[in-house]
Amino acid sequence: VPRAAPDSRAELLDRRLVVVTGKGGTGKSTLSAALALAASRRDKRVLVCEVTARERVSELFGRPASGPQIRELAPNLYSVHVRPPEAMREYGLMILRYQTLYNLVFENKVVRYFLTAAPSLAEIVMLGKVFWHAAREMERGRPRWDLVVLDAPATGHGLNLLTVPDVFLGIVSEGPLARDMRDMQSLLKDPARCRTCIVTLPEEMPANEAIELHRALDQHGLPQGALFLNGVFEPRFTPQERTQVARGGPLLAAAADAVESHEARADLSVRYRQLLGKEVQLPLLAVPYLFDRSFGPQAIEKVALAIEAAL
Amino acid sequence: VRRPDDRAVAPRPPLDQVLARRRVVSCVGPGGVGKTTTAAALALRAAMTGKRSLVLTIDPARRLANSLGLKALGNRETRIGEDLFRAAGLRPRGEMYAMMLDLKLTWDELVQRQAPSPERARQILENRLYQKLSTAMAGSLEYMAMEKVYELHSSGRFDVVVLDTPPTANALDFLRAPDRILDVLDNDAMRILLGPMLKASRIGLKLFALPTGLALRTLARFTGQDFLRDLAHFVVAFEGMYEGFKQRAVQVKRLLAGPETAFVLVTTPSPLSIEDALFFHRSLQADGITTAAVAVNRVQRDPHRLGGPDSAPALREALQLAQVPDGGNPPLSQRLARTLVEQATLADLDRRQVQELSRTLPGVPLYVVPRLRKDVHDLAGLWQIDEFLSAAEE
Repeated sequence: VPRAAPDSRAELLDRRLVVVTGKGGTGKSTLSAALALAASRRDKRVLVCEVTARERVSELFGRPASGPQIRELAPNLYSVHVRPPEAMREYGLMILRYQTLYNLVFENKVVRYFLTAAPSLAEIVMLGKVFWHAAREMERGRPRWDLVVLDAPATGHGLNLLTVPDVFLGIVSEGPLARDMRDMQSLLKDPARCRTCIVTLPEEMPANEAIELHRALDQHGLPQGALFLNGVFEPRFTPQERTQVARGGPLLAAAADAVESHEARADLSVRYRQLLGKEVQLPLLAVPYLFDRSFGPQAIEKVALAIEAAL
Repeated sequence: VRRPDDRAVAPRPPLDQVLARRRVVSCVGPGGVGKTTTAAALALRAAMTGKRSLVLTIDPARRLANSLGLKALGNRETRIGEDLFRAAGLRPRGEMYAMMLDLKLTWDELVQRQAPSPERARQILENRLYQKLSTAMAGSLEYMAMEKVYELHSSGRFDVVVLDTPPTANALDFLRAPDRILDVLDNDAMRILLGPMLKASRIGLKLFALPTGLALRTLARFTGQDFLRDLAHFVVAFEGMYEGFKQRAVQVKRLLAGPETAFVLVTTPSPLSIEDALFFHRSLQADGITTAAVAVNRVQRDPHRLGGPDSAPALREALQLAQVPDGGNPPLSQRLARTLVEQATLADLDRRQVQELSRTLPGVPLYVVPRLRKDVHDLAGLWQIDEFLSAAEE
């Protein structure tokens, strides 16, 4: 069945915002870093926004943590760690525009208390800041960033983050924050400007979660870009070879064990590739398993090359 | 070359022995490490040894349902049927139940229980803000998981309740969730801020007093008036209920920190997972809670534990001896050599990680579950995991 994609894969990196989400431990940060690297190689100026508790992308490039300051990790490639306290301050200032007013209100003990307790406020301000970088930040008359990559939290929390404008607008319909949320909502739901990508592994639970996430994103009207199947093992031995080596006696015992370990994972790769291809109406990009001893710039380079080859 | 297997950890008793006297077992750790599977395996073990066990999962992706081969789990406990046990060749001496937490329902039940009157409960349940808050508020899931565990535990219907915790990014969220949420429900700061609105709300005015004071006016600019109005209604509806909630939260915390509860840290050998797991461990420690055990899932076994040559020329000879043609492109011997190197690399990486973890957590019994060749999605698979968790020594 031909999967007619109105959006060719090549266009994925031509959006303003690419969101990367998926089950925990599937390699969201690695894929975010690799996508950013691939885009930066196409002469795009890229910013990676990390919103999870621990910053990882800078480390993957072998650089010190960026923290709340934008730092360059590679030519044309920058990252920032968006954390609620700083995002709150920056975002509050953006909306109120005046430092004195901000201080008067936000430095007020009572208000601060209210703000830390308010629902989803962390998500709101973090998304607000990402939105600002993706849609509003200008430099010399043009957008400062060609592409913003949002390394989003895992499935459930990621979906919460992306649907926070919906939730917020269900409660609040007026005021500057509501207007901002509306703009944010339209960015996240505009297929021309934004795509959400799912990262998964060739294993049952991550694959099922990817399928559910795909459907949930669809239901929320969030346009998707690609499904990354990470850690793929390609079959390497024929069934006949497997049988022969398995029966090869003690001299081939270790080899037979290695073959079975490899092929067990290759079988899973084939199975979940088929399942995901059937259940998820998105271009599927397979990223090979990497045997690197440490996950650093070299590994990111390999993943970026794999993505480039697929794009 | 025969090398020792990769399970180099200190001697320790079987995990079910470590957990024998615990009535609540909470599996904590980062997302994607197999917490649900471990939790289900522990509940299965308890049921097999004659206990009445329940595994409570919270994950919206319904993973436990997958693990147990069930199509769906309601907010009510479902007994794992005889047929599933029989299919796995198991004969339980006890009973096993599973439940998936329904966040909204658990909140509603809590409100109904704590409200002074059905009328007040109705007011809260119908509040627009409550409806959003109960499901969307950060920490809400964690709080309700704790609440449900407490309820199930106090019901006395189960010998052990195993909790599969939500994949919280931050362990502190999980442990501090009750405090955070209770702070929202009642705090003096909010009262002062919303003062004028609360007054109006209390005397039931339809038309609201405009927000007074610069702070409130500015907040209204931020959030809009409707929100503040809903919030005021909400705060008023919750008046007088705070004490009940607070007492309940204290009881929940006492249970979790007490001797009846065990926290089992679950991780994989991936450095990122271990890092997250250690962060959990330290957060627990900071709250005065000790980690009862650590389970490391999906540890690659070293093929060299089985012996045999690993270089391409030597493998070529071994193939000849076994009368296996060295065909294909690249030839079989070369592919075998490459595969041995790769699999041994994976095993070596995992072994180092496990050893490092074991050194970092002295005195915490550590259990290694090797990477299985098939996905675990039924009781037979869970039982296989139990055998690794229950092995007396490696």
